[in-house]
Amino acid sequence: MTVFRPGRRSGRRRYRPGRLLSRGSRLSMWAGLLIGIGVYVLFGIVPAAGNVIISFTDYTGLPGAPVHNVGFSNYSSMGTTQSAGFTPAVVATVVFVLAVTIAQNALALLLAHRLSGQGRMAAAGRVLVFLPIALGVTIVGLIWILVFDPQQGPAASLFGAVGVHSAFFGASGWAMPLVIFVQVWQNAGFSTLVFIGGLRAIDPQIYEAAGIDGIRPWQRLRRITFPLLAPAVTANVLLAVVGAFTTYNLIYVLTDGQYGTQTLGMLAFNAAFGSFQANLGYGAAVTVVLFVLTLIVALPLMALLRYRERRLLGTS
Amino acid sequence: MRKTSLLSASLAAAVTLAAGACSSGGSAGGGGATTLKIITWVNPPAVSAINAIDAEFHKKYPNITVKLQTAVNVNGPYETLLQQTVDSGGADIVTSVTQLQPLPLNPNRNNETPLQFWSTSGAFAPLNGQSFLTDYQPSALAAETYNGKVYGLVSGTYQEGVFYDKQTFAKYHLTVPTTYSQFLAVCQTLKSRGVTPLFTALGNVGPVYMQFLYYEAMIDLWYPHAPGGNLATALEKGTAKWTDPNFIQGMNEEKAVAQYLEPNYTGVPWESMPGDFAKGKGAMLLDGSWDLSAVQQANPSMQVGFFPLPFSNVAADNKPYLADDLTFEVLNSSPNKAAAMKWLQFFSSPSVYAQYVNTTGISSSQNSGTFSGYSAKALGSWFGQGVNRNVFYPVLSPNNGYYDQETYWPYLQLAVVQGSKTPAQAAATYQQDWKAP
Repeated sequence: MTVFRPGRRSGRRRYRPGRLLSRGSRLSMWAGLLIGIGVYVLFGIVPAAGNVIISFTDYTGLPGAPVHNVGFSNYSSMGTTQSAGFTPAVVATVVFVLAVTIAQNALALLLAHRLSGQGRMAAAGRVLVFLPIALGVTIVGLIWILVFDPQQGPAASLFGAVGVHSAFFGASGWAMPLVIFVQVWQNAGFSTLVFIGGLRAIDPQIYEAAGIDGIRPWQRLRRITFPLLAPAVTANVLLAVVGAFTTYNLIYVLTDGQYGTQTLGMLAFNAAFGSFQANLGYGAAVTVVLFVLTLIVALPLMALLRYRERRLLGTS
Repeated sequence: MRKTSLLSASLAAAVTLAAGACSSGGSAGGGGATTLKIITWVNPPAVSAINAIDAEFHKKYPNITVKLQTAVNVNGPYETLLQQTVDSGGADIVTSVTQLQPLPLNPNRNNETPLQFWSTSGAFAPLNGQSFLTDYQPSALAAETYNGKVYGLVSGTYQEGVFYDKQTFAKYHLTVPTTYSQFLAVCQTLKSRGVTPLFTALGNVGPVYMQFLYYEAMIDLWYPHAPGGNLATALEKGTAKWTDPNFIQGMNEEKAVAQYLEPNYTGVPWESMPGDFAKGKGAMLLDGSWDLSAVQQANPSMQVGFFPLPFSNVAADNKPYLADDLTFEVLNSSPNKAAAMKWLQFFSSPSVYAQYVNTTGISSSQNSGTFSGYSAKALGSWFGQGVNRNVFYPVLSPNNGYYDQETYWPYLQLAVVQGSKTPAQAAATYQQDWKAP
């Protein structure tokens, strides 16, 4: 009788998936993996670590300029008059992220519901809603600047017809809502496609069974569609939250962070590369805060959405 | 031993030859051809003018060829090129859009701009003793002077004020206003005829360009009464305060003037401003002279005149805002300093300089000259005249941090103009936030 003893070589070779590959293939696999990790470390981890280090200095980016360790002063100055603009930027960021996440997902869900069919109109609709992403930030920004030109833009005529006159992107009360609108307009197409994927993954037989049981459309949406769409909701909400936190380029094009639209991303850019003052140390500190803030929001949110998925789908 | 010496000599000769071949300019074979390298950014009128000057210079000095290298724009690309060039000595003459002065009150490596650092640390060759310096206005030389040495040549200035459509003024029988009351009367007349009196655009740039109003108000009302004749120094020393009645009066008048701007000017795209004016969207344009070439391009037949935005009822106190523009510096590491000085001498000669001014539209920084370009005609007797921003700019300069104060200086100006703050409230906040550097 042969007794199996762990750790001791038996006569038979243990099953290892890697052994399915030839030595050359295994080498190629490991080489590819190492190159990938190397690239990620070199262009992802090293700059990120460098950014954290810079946040503790007074680095200006100027060749020859001395760089001093300033400890936590870049962080402790946030919210004081010494580095004004931080607190309003936090408020603007929270408003921007909340509004974009809610509006983008609500709109995308509605669009997905209307465009998930197989017909030509639905296909054309999907292309149309996805188009803004392909246009790119600069084009999208310029389009909406022209639309909301208070002198000769179509929006000025439209609002003017009902007695509303505004400087739009140049008015404190309008600039942030309009920037949110453009961000949603540009990105709703991607969220829509994710939702469409989720909708198509739902087994049609479930709907047929629900139809036989006489379940009403609203109940069908609430009891079947929405729960089964949970993985798509998780992906879309997280992508919208992280995307909104890190947005600065669209705001840069539309308002340059003026008129109440300076989010943390925009503040970091202006602090580090703004024409008035190049303070890479402070700019780096703002990005670190932005990163931490994103983690604080995104990680619990992800846990919550995963929990929701398990609860709704009944999976462990 | 002989072999070693021969080898050493050959090596030394090879290194010398290689060094000669690698240098950006320099004379090849003593008294031979020299390549003078200038760097700047793509600014079509300036590039065109410099290229024309280079060609004429080469005709006069056939052994010197000038090579002009440009970066795509004055911001990031040129800043990078400039830094690389200064670090490597890769050119003979560099250009800049900012000047050495005003230095911060207590200059140090952390509050100086790159250009100020290079100037004060010997990266640029002093121009003292060059005969062409006497051609330039003292203020232009002062802008580039540190410890008695002149480190750059300010090629001209730009001016801010009111550009007006002469045909519209003629149509409504209006004369050029020289006082605040006259200006309001002109605006009122135009408004009563259904014409937008004043046009400007702050879209995409924000209220920092409220400076078309607040710089002029400070120049006309406050600066003439500044203790010691320098508002910046007076504020830094505390002999003048932001709550000064002259400044409060200036803000009150800014608010009155802004009522005659086109509606929603804070959202009108900045880039469209000269074109909008050229299309007749306003009778007067609040802008800088850098936009004149765009106005000319958009409507070549438009007859444009200029006057300083008057905030005082004493006509003599109303002067335009003026700031130094494109400046040439010679690198200290240049092997062709003599050729570089020759080029600056040639550039400064009356006919060549006039050609440069006429082509670029820049206002002259020389003591005299005859200019016939579009800008010279539009600016008329105000061409090159005005109050240099150095008399108050240091206290508003970002290097001194005032833009970063809680109130964001220009935003508070906008709040005053739009009525959400009173001038007295704004003045009190400015004074409260103000920390002399």
